[in-house]
Amino acid sequence: MLNAMSATTREEEIKAVGRRAGARVVGIAAASAFDAHAPEGHRPADMLPGAKAVVVAGGDGPTAGAWRCPDNRVMEITGYDLRENVAVHAMADHIEREWRHYAIQAPALPVHGHAPPMSMMLAAELAGLGTRSFAAHIILNPEYGLLYYAALITTLELAPDPPLDRPACPHPGCVAMYKRIGTTPCLRVCPACLSGRVSSEGRIEESTYNRERCHSRAQTYGIGSFQKALLDIVNEDDPAQRHAKIHGDFFTKSLQAIGFYRDSIAQCFECMRVCPVGRKYRKLE
Amino acid sequence: MAHLPEDARHRLRDVALKAGAVVCGVADAAAFEKHAPAGHRPADFLPGARAVIVVGGAAPRAGDWQASPWVLQTMGTTERIQGVGRRLAQYVEAEFGYYALYLPPGTESGSNPFVSLMLAAELAGLGSRSLAGPVLNREHGFLYWSAVATTAPLPVDGPEDEGACPAPACRQMWERERTTPCLSVCPIDGGGCLGGELVNGRPVRHSYDRDRCATRVHTHWIGGFQQVLEATLNEPDREKRKMMLYGDYFTRTLWALTYSSTNMAQCFECLRVCPAAHGLRPLE
Amino acid sequence: MFVLDPEIYRRYRDQVLALCNSFQRIGQRGFSDREIAERLGLEERVVTEIRCVAERDMYGLDEWQRAIEFKRRVSREWQAAALKRPDLKEPPKPPEP
Repeated sequence: MLNAMSATTREEEIKAVGRRAGARVVGIAAASAFDAHAPEGHRPADMLPGAKAVVVAGGDGPTAGAWRCPDNRVMEITGYDLRENVAVHAMADHIEREWRHYAIQAPALPVHGHAPPMSMMLAAELAGLGTRSFAAHIILNPEYGLLYYAALITTLELAPDPPLDRPACPHPGCVAMYKRIGTTPCLRVCPACLSGRVSSEGRIEESTYNRERCHSRAQTYGIGSFQKALLDIVNEDDPAQRHAKIHGDFFTKSLQAIGFYRDSIAQCFECMRVCPVGRKYRKLE
Repeated sequence: MAHLPEDARHRLRDVALKAGAVVCGVADAAAFEKHAPAGHRPADFLPGARAVIVVGGAAPRAGDWQASPWVLQTMGTTERIQGVGRRLAQYVEAEFGYYALYLPPGTESGSNPFVSLMLAAELAGLGSRSLAGPVLNREHGFLYWSAVATTAPLPVDGPEDEGACPAPACRQMWERERTTPCLSVCPIDGGGCLGGELVNGRPVRHSYDRDRCATRVHTHWIGGFQQVLEATLNEPDREKRKMMLYGDYFTRTLWALTYSSTNMAQCFECLRVCPAAHGLRPLE
Repeated sequence: MFVLDPEIYRRYRDQVLALCNSFQRIGQRGFSDREIAERLGLEERVVTEIRCVAERDMYGLDEWQRAIEFKRRVSREWQAAALKRPDLKEPPKPPEP
């Protein structure tokens, strides 16, 4: 549907709102497209009755400067900002205000253990913003590589964008590497979490990802480490050892991460550091 | 040199609305003395405070109210209105040259606020208390509030004469059934939190179980964390301790603590049924 | 407070982990708590509890220490090459388990 005042479609108008608010990319998926991929209870219409569309915003990851920092602790606490969520709020407000349809921010926080209520990765795929990769199955945008995704769900009917027909992973350089030495940069740097095979056609033939081990790396300091350390402390009978554990660096960092968690949601970037997709945006002066 | 232009109120409102608030008013700092105990008045935090600028906004969207109840429990609050308060405090000092203090929205100790933002909203004429408890704005319904105390001698508003509560539908329900939607969904006599009545068409709240309400509005929060910690420390069986600390409730509580800005309010049932809480026209 | 029976946890932990999204394969999604409950004949709430505990329990704190060392070593290796600063590189470590 065209905006009556200009040739802008409402899809373009909403996307423009999102980009102005900080999204790098914006895509749209049909709410019904989730049915084939997500279990009941985790689909858009389970969150917002009558959902018709899911608008997905992708926001930048760490700055190019952050990728150059030799101290990985820096990206542990600055690797994430939530601008794609700001973009989603701006678009949701816009939809309710200008188009008079219901809109909610899609719930993405994994409030029951590690299971998210709705998959932002699936939303990004269905909205044509990226495809799954060997690297922790992170959704890679073919142009920008690693982006962070948030989404809104709305009852407004919107024309969906098609999923990408050409996957971003594996990159031609990685295909060539696999042919030479049987691995890719990400698989080589983190075999503890990742494994996979490239087909003769240069596609992902198989890919596995150990999420729980990855959690110890991607969220080293946070809820999980707090729980682990707390149990250890509670079970410690020796007061001196208990004192050392409570006041030691690991538990202190865990508490800091809980207090400032929004700044440190993602704490391991090693599979992405070696990924060639989008790397051109990390080369500055 | 401090200078308050004639259009100061208008400029403040302009800044507030551009920053995302939907309402902006000013309360007389002295008006708090009649209602708030010593130690919880604006001048206790900003000596010489003359006015309190109050902004409201960031309410759940129409879509949030329509969504699965679980959605509001996990994402029903946003910190967006707090940013407006902070911005206004900086604006007052930079533009007018008077002291301004962004009043902290958290608790001073236990469950007691520094200054009641609900009282501030009432005294600024932005809304009035409902039977359910929250201050409701006549046009927008349920809002989140932020407030800035200032020494600037701003023209002030007064409390509104007629509140949003009770809504006409609630008056009718009271006539019929001697209850209202919020009282019937969470009755204190039935294990809930609210007790009250309509007297001459006005809401009179005679009982509110704040501590029970805390288990609902802050199901996963500091109180629950403390409870599990205590239970764990008192549990002699190490396997059971693991079940407690790794289990769903404690994990969820930790998420709520880390993402508190989106998660601080976790029960909306009295407002979900409130005809005056939503403000907006029904959407499609 | 709902506390999972440790015996129930021990009995079903591996099955729940195998069915959920802890070990992921592209093209083969993990099951939701509801779906797992149907398969194992358990209440959904119990499955959620087993899964939450198991996710946290799968690795010990030593894995967290390995994570800290891994990130430090690997990021410095990369920067040593990218920034042409061999001084950043740490001495070699034993291969990952």
